[in-house]
Amino acid sequence: MDPKKVLVVDDSKLMHKMYEVMLRQYVLVHAMDGLEASQELEDHDDVDLVLLDINMPRMGGLEFLEHMGYQDESKALPPVIIVSTEGKEEDTQRGLEAGAVAYIKKPFSSVQLTAVISEMPDDVRSREQA
Amino acid sequence: MSGPREGGRLGSPEVTGTELVTQLRGTLDRAAELVRVLEGNLATLQQLGHGEPSEAPAASAKRVEELEERLRTAETDVKELASRLVDSEHQAGRLMNLYVATYQLHSTLHPEEVQETIAEIAINLLGAERFALLLRDEDEEACEVALEEGLTDEDTLYAGRVYRGGDPLIDATLDDGVLRLGPEDGSPVLAAVPLRVHDVIVGALVVLDLFDHKPILRSEDRDLLDLLSAHAASALFAARLYAAKDRKLRSLESLVKLARRE
Repeated sequence: MDPKKVLVVDDSKLMHKMYEVMLRQYVLVHAMDGLEASQELEDHDDVDLVLLDINMPRMGGLEFLEHMGYQDESKALPPVIIVSTEGKEEDTQRGLEAGAVAYIKKPFSSVQLTAVISEMPDDVRSREQA
Repeated sequence: MSGPREGGRLGSPEVTGTELVTQLRGTLDRAAELVRVLEGNLATLQQLGHGEPSEAPAASAKRVEELEERLRTAETDVKELASRLVDSEHQAGRLMNLYVATYQLHSTLHPEEVQETIAEIAINLLGAERFALLLRDEDEEACEVALEEGLTDEDTLYAGRVYRGGDPLIDATLDDGVLRLGPEDGSPVLAAVPLRVHDVIVGALVVLDLFDHKPILRSEDRDLLDLLSAHAASALFAARLYAAKDRKLRSLESLVKLARRE
């Protein structure tokens, strides 16, 4: 997959800076929690990938997936990669069941992150397709 | 063969880490292509040599030998480039972490935000699951636990958010300012990072446990710990100083306003 615009959702300013450095080749849209992310998705209908943290205040990653209706595959939503810190397999599994298509665990390198993005198939759920 | 040696530009200081990786990947691809061509040529020559033994066998044998030598060189170069590519990606990752950590530590003058950044570095870049930031009290007899993550009632040395000593690794680091990696006999601490301001040890960052998916601290983590040692305390103290001065300024302004009304 070769996305153009990526929505990064994380409550850590450090991680947002890290994404800026790691993903210079993409246009980034930033959100600090799930609520902001849902608003950003409304404002930017050309976002074609979401990097989603699990643990965030107000609305976490799993709640965001549920709120946006990611379980409904007919919905026109960009694919989600879960970014998890805790290494809790159950959270990752719940995220995948809730509609995310891949995951990566912090700490990760730019090589690992770009590998996860590029290894995603082009025909993974996308706004154009749905 | 000149392929891998074309990397003269690799040492150029203006080439960024990402560009370097891209260049290395390109060179690696070209070298692999060259190896494939050479292998093809070699196979063709060997077939020719077998099929027509009367055609200058000595010249063919020499040509085959030359091509085999070039193939060996190309294979060696590919291995070297692959190794350099891995090293470059590794270095780029380390530099990214250090840049982002430094940038973020000094991006604010709010003490709470600096502490948040230290915690974020520990969690997101080091992969620390349990850690504590110790800052010496003014009387220097104990350390305040200014920040902690994952401490439980079983961590009795930090009870009441005060550390009064007892862990040999932490005590030694607070004493001589040397970064120590554990665990060792009598101490479960994975890393005791001295925090310095003007060469004075003002505290320590103590890493007690890492996330399951990061079993050990790696060599690149040492750079990050060194950076925290040099920058975390100074960023925190600068922010605290600013906050204290700001409070005093506000108090004085209030007093001036009050005096003018009277």
